[in-house]
Amino acid sequence: MPADARAAASAELRRPREGRMVAGVAAGLARHLGISVTAARWGLAIAGLTGTGAVLYLWLWLTVPSADTAAPPPLVRLAPMLRDKNLRSPLLAAAGGLMLLALAAMVAATAAGAAVPWQWLIPLAALLGGLILAWSQLDRIDAGARRGPISWLRLIGAVALMVLGTALLISQGRGPSSLVAALLAGLAVLAAVALVGAPWWLRLINALGDQRAATAREAERADIAAHLHDSVLQTLALIRAQAADEASVRRLARAQERELRQWLYQDRVAPAVSLAAALKETAAEVEDAAGAEIGVVVVGDHPPMEAAAALIGATREGLLNAVRHGAPPVSLYAEIGPALAEVFIKDRGPGFDLAQVPGDRLGVRESIIGRIRRQGGQAEVVSKTGGGTEVRLRLALGVKERA
Amino acid sequence: MTAKLRVVLVDDHALFRAGSKAELGASFEIVGEAGSVEQAIAVIAQTQPDVVLLDVHLPGGGGAGGAEVASAFAGSAVKFLALSVSDAAADVVAVIRAGARGYVTKTITASELAAAVRRVAEGDAVFSPRLAGFVLDAFGAAGGNVAVADDELDSLTAREQEVMRLIARGYTYREVASELFISIKTVESHVSAVLRKLQLSNRAELTRWAARRNLL
Repeated sequence: MPADARAAASAELRRPREGRMVAGVAAGLARHLGISVTAARWGLAIAGLTGTGAVLYLWLWLTVPSADTAAPPPLVRLAPMLRDKNLRSPLLAAAGGLMLLALAAMVAATAAGAAVPWQWLIPLAALLGGLILAWSQLDRIDAGARRGPISWLRLIGAVALMVLGTALLISQGRGPSSLVAALLAGLAVLAAVALVGAPWWLRLINALGDQRAATAREAERADIAAHLHDSVLQTLALIRAQAADEASVRRLARAQERELRQWLYQDRVAPAVSLAAALKETAAEVEDAAGAEIGVVVVGDHPPMEAAAALIGATREGLLNAVRHGAPPVSLYAEIGPALAEVFIKDRGPGFDLAQVPGDRLGVRESIIGRIRRQGGQAEVVSKTGGGTEVRLRLALGVKERA
Repeated sequence: MTAKLRVVLVDDHALFRAGSKAELGASFEIVGEAGSVEQAIAVIAQTQPDVVLLDVHLPGGGGAGGAEVASAFAGSAVKFLALSVSDAAADVVAVIRAGARGYVTKTITASELAAAVRRVAEGDAVFSPRLAGFVLDAFGAAGGNVAVADDELDSLTAREQEVMRLIARGYTYREVASELFISIKTVESHVSAVLRKLQLSNRAELTRWAARRNLL
């Protein structure tokens, strides 16, 4: 059974945010029932003509939460808290449905009656309009979005309609003076309710802020968990699989350590804008290629200049030499000042005499010394018996001299 | 040889404590272990060891980790060697300024670690290449900031810079001494002077520098 079909079969009833025409009711129904969206839309539209369909549509709009069908499985497993928990209470849903049904029945009765009671119809229409205006914002409130000016206009309009409707309902056509009195009374009650409810409302806003902060924390935790899963757990599995091969275990552990360090401390600057980052990356590449460990210390930084490529190339060659022919620990120290870059590569190998290296060997003579000297820098290889070998490179920054 | 040095291991990873114990147990007397700030303070106060191997990241206490433990024993005879997997300059500088006599990374070999513990016990400072790099960076050595007088706290003297550079380049104290034609004791005194500057300098940039390093 394909995964898609299974997912569709178990899809919860939700109004999707993507691909909705009005409120996503038809699209959600179609996904839930496993029928085509067009069929659901036509079905609802035909039912809407009879009146019951409209009520059903409104009822579903109010009660079915708007959300994308499902979060991807890893996210669900890693951060269950992230899922939308505040499903509306069924009591509220039922009340909304009943209210709309009653409204529909009343409208039907008025239409059937001989005399049209305008003094009832107009306030009821105003009340209904206000209700629809207010409830149409439900999705936006849910999403936790900030209120825009339109949203405020809708809220004010809804309140005005409700107050007007209530006032008309109470005054019942007994003249403008009683209408004004009813309006004033309504406003006074509203103000009193607002004053009494203010602390509760403020607390609600605070709680909402807390909840958002918690969600952000959860998201961060999920991010970390996902990262650990992708990197560290994979590497651990690899290490276990290759436990017999010491060299590759060491390489895996070192590469993973470096990657995790970079991710944790975020001190990663693109090599394109930082000579220090470029040198660190070079050392990392040599580590990966040779499976040896290199202690890297870089002081200062500078944007890479034209001659940087030569410096990096020579550094790479020096490090490769050190890990191939020298002995650990291999260390790379780079000091990058405002005008001068110095690079030192040291190993603890037996050392060698540069004069005795055959002339056809390009490694040290050409790739390291020649490269730096052509850029107007200084390069030397110092080897002491028993004290290891050190490659020293000095290159002026900024000014480029051609030899 | 005199009695074995008494060492307390403070690390929140029991696995790492067990490893260090196996490595150091032969040459030192491990008198206590702790896995949190509160435990560490209690164990150190009770056992009064010569050296404490102190993890920079520790749970408990006020959240400052190893630095909190070290500063709780400021002025006492107990010496601290900071041990960390962290490369974050802010962590390292914090624990050194709280009184640790040195800083090494956890990837250090057993023999080097033992040598570092002895050196700290003798009152010297232990600088790893990385810590030397931090110092050079923090005191603006790459920018040519040189102290004129020895007692100037805010910058390193030319000699101290040289020593720090060689340590950063991976030289041992002995190699530094032979490179600069000075005695090992002189190297040690230079390193201790740098440590003192790192701990006492109220160079405002030091803290800001460390914080900035983590934001880059």
